[in-house]
Amino acid sequence: MPPRTDVAEPLHGASLPDDELLLVRALDAPLPLVFRMWEDVEHRARWWGPKGFVCKHLEQDFRPGGAWRACISSPEYGDSWHGGRFREIERDRRIVFTFAWDSGPAGGVETLITVTFAEMNGVTIQTFHQTPFETVERRDSHVTGWSQLLDREQAYVEARQGGTP
Amino acid sequence: MDADPLSATLAALADPTRRAILARLAQGETTVGDLAAPFDISLPAVSRHLKVLEGAGLISRGRDAQWRPCRLQPEPLKNVAEWLETYRRFWEGSFDKMEAYLADLTKGDPDAPKN
Repeated sequence: MPPRTDVAEPLHGASLPDDELLLVRALDAPLPLVFRMWEDVEHRARWWGPKGFVCKHLEQDFRPGGAWRACISSPEYGDSWHGGRFREIERDRRIVFTFAWDSGPAGGVETLITVTFAEMNGVTIQTFHQTPFETVERRDSHVTGWSQLLDREQAYVEARQGGTP
Repeated sequence: MDADPLSATLAALADPTRRAILARLAQGETTVGDLAAPFDISLPAVSRHLKVLEGAGLISRGRDAQWRPCRLQPEPLKNVAEWLETYRRFWEGSFDKMEAYLADLTKGDPDAPKN
């Protein structure tokens, strides 16, 4: 995935934090098995959560529109509930879903995650991209708004042109 | 606008023009006129962006009605960076575990499920 270019030019060395995450892993396993790491609850519960946490609860309705919900737990931090909804699923290619923590400093802030899979020289390349969901939606809705406006303008101009001999 | 500060910050950052304005302000305080100059947009449009940034607590503005310099308020940006860092730890840690688990499945325990 290309890095975002919309802010690169005016930065001039000033540092703004990025608001998205891109993580790429080369996994030494067949692609269908890597896909099942996400699809299959029993697999996913084995790795879900950082070091020191266990996944106490995991349920998911693995289809577009289906909900998922999980709880990870550690002696230090206790239980952390989180969940979301699957938006797109293409077997062995990509999974798009939302993710939000129930509580805590970032509680309720929904994010959008896209995981893609590709096989290369016998390893599986897993690409993970996470971005604030609300802002993605707004960005997209703005684009829709503008294109609708332009369409209307286009229709108006064409109508006028048609009306003049 | 948004109920929680992090959402407000993220929404304010979602726009490329507002990100560019913040990047400009990271170099020092400046006036609305100077801010508008590099952009192909009107002063009222810049003012609207500044209102959003001010609402999210990302900038503050001087009191002088004639010359209201804009200043970057970096505190909310730290929250964004921390928020992202938490997620980075979550995923790096999870994927480490996934790698180890995959290694178990593919070469380790012969009784482990292959599917």
